[in-house]
Amino acid sequence: MSAPGSDDRRDPSSPLLEVSNLSATVEGFEVTHGLDLEVNEGEAVALVGRNGAGKTSTFRSIMGLTPVANGSIRLHGEELLDMRPELIPKRGIGYQPESRDLFTGMTVEENFRLPIWTAGEARGVEDEDALVEEIFELFDELEDRRDAEVQNLSGGQGKMTAIGRALALQPDLLILDEPLEGLAPVVVENVKSYIHEIIDRDISVLIAESNASHVPEIVDRMYVIERGEIVDSGDPEALSSDEEIQMLMQGGGE
Amino acid sequence: MLEHVLNGLYYGSILFMIASGMTIIFGVLGILNLAHGELYALGAFSAFSIIGFVAGQVAAPTGPVTAIVFGVVVLAGSLATAAVLLPVGGALEAAFIRPIYDRDEVYQLLLTYGLLLVLTDVMKFVWGPSPVDLGVFGGINEIPTTELVGIDYPSYNVFVILIGIAVFAWLVWFFDRTKTGRIVRATAINREMSTAIGISTDRMFTLVFAIGAFFAGFGGAMVSIGPGSASLGMGLDWLVLSFVVIVIGGLGSLNGAFVGSMLVGVSSRVVTPYYPQLELAVPFLLMVLVLLLKPEGLYGAWGEIQ
Repeated sequence: MSAPGSDDRRDPSSPLLEVSNLSATVEGFEVTHGLDLEVNEGEAVALVGRNGAGKTSTFRSIMGLTPVANGSIRLHGEELLDMRPELIPKRGIGYQPESRDLFTGMTVEENFRLPIWTAGEARGVEDEDALVEEIFELFDELEDRRDAEVQNLSGGQGKMTAIGRALALQPDLLILDEPLEGLAPVVVENVKSYIHEIIDRDISVLIAESNASHVPEIVDRMYVIERGEIVDSGDPEALSSDEEIQMLMQGGGE
Repeated sequence: MLEHVLNGLYYGSILFMIASGMTIIFGVLGILNLAHGELYALGAFSAFSIIGFVAGQVAAPTGPVTAIVFGVVVLAGSLATAAVLLPVGGALEAAFIRPIYDRDEVYQLLLTYGLLLVLTDVMKFVWGPSPVDLGVFGGINEIPTTELVGIDYPSYNVFVILIGIAVFAWLVWFFDRTKTGRIVRATAINREMSTAIGISTDRMFTLVFAIGAFFAGFGGAMVSIGPGSASLGMGLDWLVLSFVVIVIGGLGSLNGAFVGSMLVGVSSRVVTPYYPQLELAVPFLLMVLVLLLKPEGLYGAWGEIQ
């Protein structure tokens, strides 16, 4: 997939997101060890590994929520580590955390509007209502639930709301932490098709998955993470059928 | 009996102006602000100076019409007093409380207790150790209210009850309907996720603390205007009662603070005339009762699913 190339800020030679030599720490313990990762413009990339391999910590460091001892995280060539964390979404990263973390007691629509109120100006959102409608059009099954408080949603609807809230930032990069985890098989197919639609809109996507079997259908490239290090990367089709990788993924016995 | 209930609502309204700020600050910042009663006392002392000055600019009321003018001037003075507390609250948060958000609660309690002592000394330094009384109470009561429906009850108390209800309505509107209010709620519900959608939590914390200080100061002004006086010990009594209120209502709940304030106000004012020895015990008995029946308080904080 090629980059849209319409935005002057973007330097086609540098990747959209460039994580290098990242050592993230949780409560003083190093959880990733010199991790390197790249996402190019318009690319869909997966970070695949067992639970506890360091996927969420990596994503949280990118969002400025987990402390980093060492390394560099650049978006459009700009270093994010020196930045106040609330500026990172304003620079163009939308984040769906694994636990969804919706704003309970508020409606689906309010959850979509909040990011526009806080970062809409920085993200160049001109028409708030149009953007909200666009998100409801994408996740058409949320349409009837727009005034429902988010704690009353089903698991799948909750995931969609969390993804929709990230899209309300009009992100250049969408980070999805296990968007398919814990969903019924038929809902998994639904969410997958939504992610496809998002990728088709030329939004770059970085997805964490603990189940390698979904990955080839969704992404262009994948990284395999194990014990906080990238152990392999490349074509998702080839990697996910690789026996060694399959052993690795099953090794922990999730 | 009606008089006692009205007295309870009056008392509850002032209590709500203090307890609402305390519960919102706890709900959003996660800090139990022990200095909150001193912000209220500071409001009472500032009202003595500010309202004393503005009320001196108009003649003392001689009839209902001039009394209304006088009342409006006093109300404007109370709002000006509360407005003084906005920057005071904001500055206290930014300078002293912000650096210790990540520390253990014990540090936060010690710090806000320290602020309590410092603020008390500042007020002692500025206004002296003796209570000060504004003395505009009589003028406000020249405005007829209850007489119109055939009851004899001080108009001033009626106004305070109405103002208490208006403050509650405003806070509900602010947090339910305005963008800023909902952004504050999001911060209370999930601090990290708020950051991840671009909310500056520092800014929201300062705002919330300033709003809390504003209403505490407004409550203080109400007491200064009334038959009571501004005194150095006043903050502590109300701090303890506010704590009782927010435990009854549920820590961090605005609705809970309102219902709790009115319950504490009415029950203590209704019981006291008949059993004066229970005056101090009633709020605590009520708290014990609520804790036995509903240990988490009557209402949940924002984002808590009930």
